Amino acid sequence: MTTTTPSRGLARARRGLAPGGGGKPGADGGLNRRSRLASQATRTFFWLLLPSVFLLILIHGYPLVYAGVQATHDGSLIDTGNFVGLDNFANVLGAPAFWKAAQFTLVFTIVGVFGSWLVGMGLALLLRTRIPAGGFFKVLLLLPWVVPIVVSSTAWNWLVATPDSPIPAMSRALGLGTPLFLANPTLAAVMVCAFKVWVSFPFMMMMTSSALSSVDGTVYEAASMDGASRWQQFTGITLPLIARSTYISWILMTIFCVNDFPTIYLLTGGGPVDATTSLVVLAYRRVFQDFQTGPGVAIAFLMTITLVVISAVLYRQIRKSSVE
Amino acid sequence: MSAALHTHPAAGPELSAAGGPTGAGKARRTVSEADVRGRWWRLALILAITVVVLVPIFVVVVLAFTPATTSTSTGLTFENFSNVFAKTLASTWLKNSLITTLSTVIVSVAVAAPAGYVLSRGRSKAVSGYSLLLFVMQSLPIITSVVPLFLLFANMGLVDNLLGLTIIYVASTMTVATWMMAAYFDSIPVSLEEASWIDGCSVFGSFTKVVLRNSLPGVLSTAIFAFLLAWNDYLVAIVFLRSNEIFTLPMGVQSFFQQNATDWGSVMALAVVMMLPPIIVFAALNKYFSVGGIGGSLAGR
Repeated sequence: MTTTTPSRGLARARRGLAPGGGGKPGADGGLNRRSRLASQATRTFFWLLLPSVFLLILIHGYPLVYAGVQATHDGSLIDTGNFVGLDNFANVLGAPAFWKAAQFTLVFTIVGVFGSWLVGMGLALLLRTRIPAGGFFKVLLLLPWVVPIVVSSTAWNWLVATPDSPIPAMSRALGLGTPLFLANPTLAAVMVCAFKVWVSFPFMMMMTSSALSSVDGTVYEAASMDGASRWQQFTGITLPLIARSTYISWILMTIFCVNDFPTIYLLTGGGPVDATTSLVVLAYRRVFQDFQTGPGVAIAFLMTITLVVISAVLYRQIRKSSVE
Repeated sequence: MSAALHTHPAAGPELSAAGGPTGAGKARRTVSEADVRGRWWRLALILAITVVVLVPIFVVVVLAFTPATTSTSTGLTFENFSNVFAKTLASTWLKNSLITTLSTVIVSVAVAAPAGYVLSRGRSKAVSGYSLLLFVMQSLPIITSVVPLFLLFANMGLVDNLLGLTIIYVASTMTVATWMMAAYFDSIPVSLEEASWIDGCSVFGSFTKVVLRNSLPGVLSTAIFAFLLAWNDYLVAIVFLRSNEIFTLPMGVQSFFQQNATDWGSVMALAVVMMLPPIIVFAALNKYFSVGGIGGSLAGR
């Protein structure tokens, strides 16, 4: 921004800096030059942060506040309607549809997090050993995560949707009957969870791989000399060493699963008979199909509160472990 | 990469202790028969898993090149591609997706890089408070903000509008992107910047000339993240896009399913068109990007 006098003291001056708040000019006695640089840094920081703050307020802050207004009013998307207090929340919490969706969200999240973790970690461990063209497989196995959900859900649909689709037809040929994967409530739920694991395991694989790559190989030598079995090495060395990264990836995946809309909506639309309706799908339907803005936003709010709690816990945990 | 970590359990320690560098090199080369057999087993296993996992992707590609039942041609064909581009708005959707995604990537990096710099170098309550705020925001369900934003954007004429879509994509990538940039900037030593200050550089100057210039991998990684998010999004698109000619590719592909008989050849041809850019970007820039990096940048600060 402004031109300046150089100073070796700048770094030290900036360390005590409060952007927007000023860097205590003159606090150090005669060091005017340092404080001038500090305030220059403060000003620069302010301008550098401004676009980000503006977007955060416009696209995150304002909508959150306005969602609060909508959640406490009846009315539709076009007309906010009258203030009804917490009636929407009471109605939402009193409706069986909410609890059914909450239950499915819970199942979907648990299967999504631990299913993709087990598959992803298994593959990461397998790929860690020497395999010809290991790096090539690593890239190929990332594809489910890279390919757009719209594309992969189309393919999954083609594979299982109708009685004549390849997988039901194969099952018929094997004499196992013709499963209707997307028409049977239980099978549809299984399908959606399996699809989620298929989409997400590469993320877990990469998270585990990068955690494993920082583990020093010599600890295994020592352990195997002490006679530790492969399994003992895994539970005694590998798991504790990658624990922090694992913990973080679980929480991130929880957030991804709870917030997930397209994986479910594109494969089943939330059906059959609401069997795969998660909270996001329910909120979306309330607002954009039933035109009940209040209840829809109330559902979203309840999810928000849950996720903020999870986030805050995660943040504190991370802060604690990085201070150590 | 993993070879360096894999040491021979039996021979490793003694040899490296006794023989120095040459001994260690010999140990790495001495591979027992059991180990070789183990390697082939693992190769077979990973090959089988990869094939099963990629079935849905093979399906898309194969069907895209398979002629329709009504068609006279046999074998593999490009017919579906020419059909889908001739008879539908596919080229418009592709153009819309490209415009939206590229704008998102550019603006996202342009907003996140400066903010990430402040997060990385600033030491104050305000900065760490803002960093916490960003972290919480990235975990919020987008559905909460979508409804109020729909009203706000409707009043501003930004519904059914690519600009409106881009603004939301930028905002939703910005939170994680800022953290990713900040984590990358943390790895660039402040001493480099101090040298530039001695040469008369301003703080802003050292940010652009020293830090940013040395941050290509970080910038690329953030850009790929923003690209994937904007290119693949479905929820925001389904809420904000109304008319056919404003659709992005996900909406375009999906719109085929509303017709009675799904023309699978066309759907899959368009699906192939849609999955190519992320695969190309990934294949070309894979070394700059790691999923672990995203988690790492969230975790590392």
